[in-house]
Amino acid sequence: MSTWTRLHAKAWTARGLLSSRRVTDRYTWHYGQLPSCQTLSTCTPLRKDLFRELEAQLSDMRKKVSSAFPGSTWNSFQDNRDLPPERADIVIIGGGIMGWSTAFWLKHKEESLGDLKIVVIEKDPTYSQASTVLSAGGIRQQFSLLDNINLSLASADFIRHINGYLGVMNEEPIDLQFNHSGYLFLANEDVAHIMEENHITQKYAGAQVALLSPTQLKEKFPWINTEGVALASYGLENEGSFDPWILLNSFKRKARSLGVVQCYGEVIGMDCESQTLGSFSSTRDIKRVTSVTVQLLNSMQFQPVECSIVVNAAGAFSGKLAAMAGIGQGPEGSMAGIPLPVEPRKRYVYVVHCPDGPGLDTPFLIDHSGVYFRREGLGGNYIAGTSPEESEEPDVGDLEVDHKFFEEKIWPTLAHRVPAFEKLKVTSAWAGYYDYNTLDQNGIIGAHPLVNNMYFATGFSGHGLQHSPAVGCAVAELILNGKFEALDLSRFGFRRILTKEPMLERNIV
Amino acid sequence: MLKILIPTLMLIPAIWLSPAKWIWQMTTMNGLLIATASLIWMKKPWDTGWSFLSPYLGTDSLSSPLLVLSCWLLPLMVMASQNHMTSEPIPRQRLYITIMVILHSLLILAFGATELLMFYLMFEATLIPTLFLITRWGNQTERLTAGTYFLFYTLAGSLPLLVALLMLQNDTGTLSMLILPYTQPLTHSNWGSGFWWTACLLAFLVKMPLYGIHLWLPKAHVEAPVAGSMVLAAVLLKLGGYGMMRILVILGPLTKELAYPFMVLALWGLIMTAAICLRQTDLKSLIAYSSVGHMGLVVAGILIQTTWGFSGALTLMIAHGLTSSALFCLANTNYERTHTRTMVLARGLQAALPLMGLWWFIASVANLALPPLPNFVAEVSIIMSLWNWSWWTIFLTGTGTLITAGYSLYMFLMTQRGPIPSHILPLPPSHTREHLLIALHLLPLLLLTLKPSLIWGWC
Repeated sequence: MSTWTRLHAKAWTARGLLSSRRVTDRYTWHYGQLPSCQTLSTCTPLRKDLFRELEAQLSDMRKKVSSAFPGSTWNSFQDNRDLPPERADIVIIGGGIMGWSTAFWLKHKEESLGDLKIVVIEKDPTYSQASTVLSAGGIRQQFSLLDNINLSLASADFIRHINGYLGVMNEEPIDLQFNHSGYLFLANEDVAHIMEENHITQKYAGAQVALLSPTQLKEKFPWINTEGVALASYGLENEGSFDPWILLNSFKRKARSLGVVQCYGEVIGMDCESQTLGSFSSTRDIKRVTSVTVQLLNSMQFQPVECSIVVNAAGAFSGKLAAMAGIGQGPEGSMAGIPLPVEPRKRYVYVVHCPDGPGLDTPFLIDHSGVYFRREGLGGNYIAGTSPEESEEPDVGDLEVDHKFFEEKIWPTLAHRVPAFEKLKVTSAWAGYYDYNTLDQNGIIGAHPLVNNMYFATGFSGHGLQHSPAVGCAVAELILNGKFEALDLSRFGFRRILTKEPMLERNIV
Repeated sequence: MLKILIPTLMLIPAIWLSPAKWIWQMTTMNGLLIATASLIWMKKPWDTGWSFLSPYLGTDSLSSPLLVLSCWLLPLMVMASQNHMTSEPIPRQRLYITIMVILHSLLILAFGATELLMFYLMFEATLIPTLFLITRWGNQTERLTAGTYFLFYTLAGSLPLLVALLMLQNDTGTLSMLILPYTQPLTHSNWGSGFWWTACLLAFLVKMPLYGIHLWLPKAHVEAPVAGSMVLAAVLLKLGGYGMMRILVILGPLTKELAYPFMVLALWGLIMTAAICLRQTDLKSLIAYSSVGHMGLVVAGILIQTTWGFSGALTLMIAHGLTSSALFCLANTNYERTHTRTMVLARGLQAALPLMGLWWFIASVANLALPPLPNFVAEVSIIMSLWNWSWWTIFLTGTGTLITAGYSLYMFLMTQRGPIPSHILPLPPSHTREHLLIALHLLPLLLLTLKPSLIWGWC
């Protein structure tokens, strides 16, 4: 070829390194194979074609600019008002009583204000399915496990001094509507001995509980039918019921005044990083949750919140949340394969009206069959309910109430125990979830052994509200000081789930 | 001069043309090569004059330690950022390193400038890349406030400086640092001269920072990514000190009276910021406030205008640059593992990471000016020259040093000793890169113990 074409070839070759194969192909077709040039590979080039990318980027930019002109709805400023912060020290998942109690105690115990950045994530601002606000609101010390009694005593002490702890300046003082009705447990012949043993434990712990014989019972509460009752246990102090909404809002108000950030959103995932720790015989994967992805309600916006510690206070939905961190997703039979045994169980509460019913001194009565009732307000209304049999657990898909359950299971026992209740009218009813611990129906407090920075405060199976102040304090101590200080709740740890050693109460409702 | 500047500028094309998996290593390697080459600046001529002179750039005993420090810091910044940038897309990583290189070349131009106006231009120009680093790659939403504070404090302080420099150019006909010492010093003592004097110094006092105008520093240091914190603490603060030293030459006898309020603020700031450090709960914030305190001592040393004061100030600037940068790197290694800066949640780490505990120890004792480290040499020089100026200052400096020792030990004991919380027991082990990073900070510091005259300046 002539010098000119050779030079032209070289120039085209140089361009060929930077431009597409199509150009050089066209050239090759016209002028034949290029001599003495670098090979033009037939596969995609190793390096990205700068100019082709540039064109794509320019056209993107043009599209963006044209859509920003008036008349288009695109706005470069996104609405980021409700997003949680990009990072927080402690993320508490679950805005129920446990979550806000933990948030309050963490802020209460930190050494200087502004130390810890805490975010509480709640997926339902109306609390329509939260166990806290649908609870019957009772507090009692009549348990059989010493730990539970101590928790209730500590919480009762907290509630007694609630304005000292949760009072906010320039706001109204807190009135929990505490009704000191006391709990009255009735035992038949078979279980009377258990009640006596529990009574000894309760007395040892410092609870004021009195044992009553049937005659004493009849004297004290003439409206009771003492048939079948061998022994009764009546709480004299620190027992009764209160309004759970007020307690929740008090915790929330105080925690927010101390700087806790509230975010309404749903946790859709958790990013973890894991490390394999090995010994001679086995290895174990230890995980840390590095960030929690929160999706806003009714929106596609989500925000990963980078965090150092996660507190699982999600109540009935804790099991699902724990699975997001991989708890229970491991192979069967290994530690990682043991899930968090908390699941939602539906419980019904019925409001009945009985004008001739028991008077103002009605205790929170729990029959030995499991049926309970308590006075609600001053208008002759009562709240009643019971736990269904294991085999007859209602479906947890929704919170619809089954009225036949009342007529079949509750009313006969109620009428039998309190003859005045033969004539009553159900005025309303609701259903709520227990965060039911399938192992032993007691709370799980503490860190998970494999997911190091996830702390649990869940699984209380119906008696979480009454323990919430003390549990929040315990979790805060665990996080800040590494160990329990006020109350030693190490028996509630996750270890018993792994070793399958249930810590059973001997009388629960 | 150009033999360091051109390779630094050529790093930028190298970054953009490197294969994606080699950018960090390539930049570190080249940065270290440039840093080694920059050591030729340490060669002092027999007289105390300038060397490596060109019409615009040159070095002397004051600027060469600072130049070597900033050249040394570039590869260290790159090493420190390597881990937390892995999640970003590649072009953004390239952009990040490019911004660092641009900042670095502006710093070389600033420290190497022989003309005050060029120094001023570079001083201002370094604000832009730093602002990018803080506001784009910082961790939290507060970084926007931090960037605003940083930018506007420095700008507001330095606009009067521009006016003052132009006035000076008008009066003396030159702004060259080589000639200005030989011009007539200002002898008027009217209000105008007082304002001019303040205008000259205000920019540098804001940059140092002086205690009353220091608010931007805790914000900027805490919200910046680790490379940003490193360069801010190690080099950018020293721009202020260097500028003060240069401009004080021409500020004449006015300084004897007018320096009083600033001396007071500087020494009081030492005590106040040390006291604030004692009750800080955020680790990076603690290190940031300690920088304010140390720079207060530097300001005091410079304003005294004696030989020992100046040399102490310069030595403290270099030693503090290395120490503070090392502390920020250590704080970042903590942060990458525990994802929290709160000391109460990430403590007792010696149980998990013992070798890091050693580095923490050396950095903490360097911070509290343990003899025979250059920090001690510097602080003692400044304290002695302050004593000579007025013996009352010994109360302030003594208390300040005492509380500094207190909070440095508090920081060490809080982060390293004590029970380790269970949620951070199984931490990922330290990377070799992190050990190398801290070692490269502390090794020069320890070696400078043997020959502090390298960084003494003119003495």
